[in-house]
Amino acid sequence: MKVQCELCPKLCLIQPGQSGECRVRINIDGVLRTVVYGYPCSIHIDPVEKKPLFHFLPGSSILSIATIGCNLHCKNCQNWEISQANPEEGNVPAYNCPPERLVAEANKYQCPSLAYTYTDPIVYYEYTYDSAKLAHEAGLRNVLVTAGYVNEQPWKKLLQHVDAANIDLKAITEDFYREVCSATLKPVQNALILAKASEVHLEVTNLVIPTLNDEPEQLRELSRWIKMNLGADTPLHFSGFYPRYQMRNLPATSLKTLETARKIAMSEGLNYVYIGNVASREGQNTYCPGCKKLLIERSGYTILQNRLRQDRCPDCSKEIYGVWK
Amino acid sequence: MTRRKFVRRLIKACTVIAAGVFTLGSKQGSREAKRHKFVRAFRVKGYPGPVKPMQNILKQGKWSG
Repeated sequence: MKVQCELCPKLCLIQPGQSGECRVRINIDGVLRTVVYGYPCSIHIDPVEKKPLFHFLPGSSILSIATIGCNLHCKNCQNWEISQANPEEGNVPAYNCPPERLVAEANKYQCPSLAYTYTDPIVYYEYTYDSAKLAHEAGLRNVLVTAGYVNEQPWKKLLQHVDAANIDLKAITEDFYREVCSATLKPVQNALILAKASEVHLEVTNLVIPTLNDEPEQLRELSRWIKMNLGADTPLHFSGFYPRYQMRNLPATSLKTLETARKIAMSEGLNYVYIGNVASREGQNTYCPGCKKLLIERSGYTILQNRLRQDRCPDCSKEIYGVWK
Repeated sequence: MTRRKFVRRLIKACTVIAAGVFTLGSKQGSREAKRHKFVRAFRVKGYPGPVKPMQNILKQGKWSG
């Protein structure tokens, strides 16, 4: 008997013995099963700035996990060795780490939060959900780093246990999502709006790929959409592309392009716009949208100085969007 | 064909079309209702690939994100 996976907009109709597009949700004897529950392929303690989250507990460590699999197949995927792997092929080993152990490890290493990241936490939904629930019960916070390609019902349920999310808005055109990611734009926009409505701390990443989504008009439209639907205070990270996976024919994104993108987004009224994956002092710092003074100075993932007084600018007292403690 | 016969055939044809439309509509409706119901996937025993002991997790991840 075929089963339909209702988790993401792909709605895979899965034959017995086969998996959905994500490779990790399988039909076994007519029952939908997840083969990666409790088996992350990657566990690390990262700086929270690496997610990237610049307005969420700056300078803190975050226990970060991923399992194999992804429901998108982006031609430019930076983590394709794990996101596009198949657990049965045996190229990527996993660790036995059920939710209880995950929480215990976070406590052991004094990490205030957990990140479900690297691949896409949507495809290991049940593991993410149970771990996040348990982490909340233990007083820890949960962060999702995701492409946001998920159906409304499971998304809303998961958001109840999420404190912060960095969601990719890969481009503002359906063509890009269809041709580069084998996905569609609309569900991602819905996921972003729902996350914002759920009062999850939200930051957005846009990977700028030369010739594919770096047209000033597209960047302007993307910035306008964020301002209109998520608010001017939503931090936006323009991230630099490096040739990887099936997209080795394009050059890496130049600092100049990223700086142009940042200027465009700021001219459209976004208050916090950052540059990532490329060294840029100004593009990594947080400035007060009121008095324009420096608030947080960063170098890579390191905080050089944090001038915030609780959640306010020390010079003009403007409240700064974020979760600061 | 008399007018009465024509009217009878017309009513019959309309009834068949209406019944068809109703059947298709209700099937679509139940499909839509099913689509909105999210059911969790169950776990499997064990892992289909290789499993190794936990590494040193203090090391920063090499993956993006």
